[in-house]
Amino acid sequence: MKRQIAYFLVIFIGFLTLFGHFINYSPLNNFIDNDATQWFDIISGFAAFLGVINLLQLHLNKISRKKDNWKYSFITLFGFLIMIIFGFIYNGSDVSMGPHLKKEGSAFYWMFQNIYLPLGATMFALLAFFVASASYRAFKIRNFEATLLLVSGVFLMIGRVPIGQLIPWWMSLEIYICLFFAFIANRFNDRKKLLISLLLSLILLPFIVFNLGLTSLAVFKITELQEWIMDVPATAGSRAIMIGIALGTIAQSYRIITGREKSILGD
Amino acid sequence: MNYYTKYIFLPLLIFIFYFFIPFPFFLSGNETTFVCVILLCFVVEYFIEKAKKGDDIYMRPIAAIKAMEEAVGRATEMGKPVLYVPGISSLDQIDTISGLTILGHVAGMTAEYDAHLHVPVCVPIVMETAKEACKESYLKKGRPDLYREDMVHYVTDDQFAYAAGVNGIMLRDKPAAVFFQGKFYAESLILAETGNSIGAIQIAGTGSSSQIPFFVTACDYTLIGEEFYAASAYLSGSPEMLGSIKGQDYVKVGCMILILFVFICSVLNGYGIINFDVSSFFRINILR
Repeated sequence: MKRQIAYFLVIFIGFLTLFGHFINYSPLNNFIDNDATQWFDIISGFAAFLGVINLLQLHLNKISRKKDNWKYSFITLFGFLIMIIFGFIYNGSDVSMGPHLKKEGSAFYWMFQNIYLPLGATMFALLAFFVASASYRAFKIRNFEATLLLVSGVFLMIGRVPIGQLIPWWMSLEIYICLFFAFIANRFNDRKKLLISLLLSLILLPFIVFNLGLTSLAVFKITELQEWIMDVPATAGSRAIMIGIALGTIAQSYRIITGREKSILGD
Repeated sequence: MNYYTKYIFLPLLIFIFYFFIPFPFFLSGNETTFVCVILLCFVVEYFIEKAKKGDDIYMRPIAAIKAMEEAVGRATEMGKPVLYVPGISSLDQIDTISGLTILGHVAGMTAEYDAHLHVPVCVPIVMETAKEACKESYLKKGRPDLYREDMVHYVTDDQFAYAAGVNGIMLRDKPAAVFFQGKFYAESLILAETGNSIGAIQIAGTGSSSQIPFFVTACDYTLIGEEFYAASAYLSGSPEMLGSIKGQDYVKVGCMILILFVFICSVLNGYGIINFDVSSFFRINILR
């Protein structure tokens, strides 16, 4: 019976929300846009107490049973108690309790500004190093796709820094020629022929492009090329994923509100 | 009600009612969404019915889903825990709900294999739901004795403090399998790279399109786009759930055909061959 009530609530609220998005009936729209979200916030607010109790239980249990790394639990509990004391009990300034959370001079504000924010910023700053190590792995030339990723990445990086605007058309052409030969190099059996072909192309093609008056083509400007990569292939790829996500979201929601997807309730 | 009435006339009737009703019963501005939602729902329902009647449903194998059981098995063999991270968003995000449905299946696997499951959560309300999902899964597998109250626990609400907490768990416990299934933001790479550094087999899934590249780079398997939402249905293996995925795939094919049609019409309209600009209907003009 308990389970049936849960299913009924999921189905009823699911369809109500869906109808509220399309039907022009202000009490329903108001319920969906305001009341329902407020109810959710109230329930979440109560759940915060459960979270705090869980945190305390877990760490006190770790300390009392001296589980692995139990010493770290002291630090967690110490931080927890300190914030509670300076948040609810001791202010440390002339500001009244409540507004002291956002007023300079209070102990809570000082701790927030000088401990909490720098720690968060430190974690965020670590992202730069993780991006470097992840990029290194992604850009390693293993196959055609990884090479394409590397080439696009290099063009994007060059095109987005000021020096990218200073690269002349002939240098861009030379880069393309080198890249082209890098791709077809394994088709040459004789290395001498490869070298001669590459050198001839590097010398002759700029003259041909110049004489044909093609130097102003956008493809020879790295900045415009990187914009094209971002606007066309990257956008196309991300939109394909977005369409998939939208379809998946609708189908998943449909399965839930028709009571077919029951895993969330443990079935 | 036969097939034609249910899947052709009923949606048509809904559309006629929606577009030609004389009084303002429906909100204006949501027409495209309405048509898409109704069409998708009927197509999905049609394939669910077909699957229920015993029609053969072929599902293309998804490596990430296949690897989930292998990852849990590997953790069991190594005697190490399985770490499940359900993202940092609350239950108002479909990604979190999808992550929790997958958690139910992963908890079932850990119950079956007698592996140690660890679920640190960022939002208290998600913690309660995750606890319930795990408890039910252990009960369903006939192993309620293996369920521990501290299996699912709260860490913190703050994004980077949570990332630091989960990183600490990874570095101390050295889990053999790590699942990232839910809504992630900037912390995704911090978590995935740490998991990579400890040599864990990592399976990620998210609907945040901006985080997918990070997971693809740092994780062994990634559920991309709709695969993430289909994972739970795929894992359940029930014909009606698989039918819904089939329906979703057919709608995707329909989208592809529609995109191609709009593209051709826009090009023809751009060159003045046809006068009707079909793309204006979707408020996008590819030649503008």
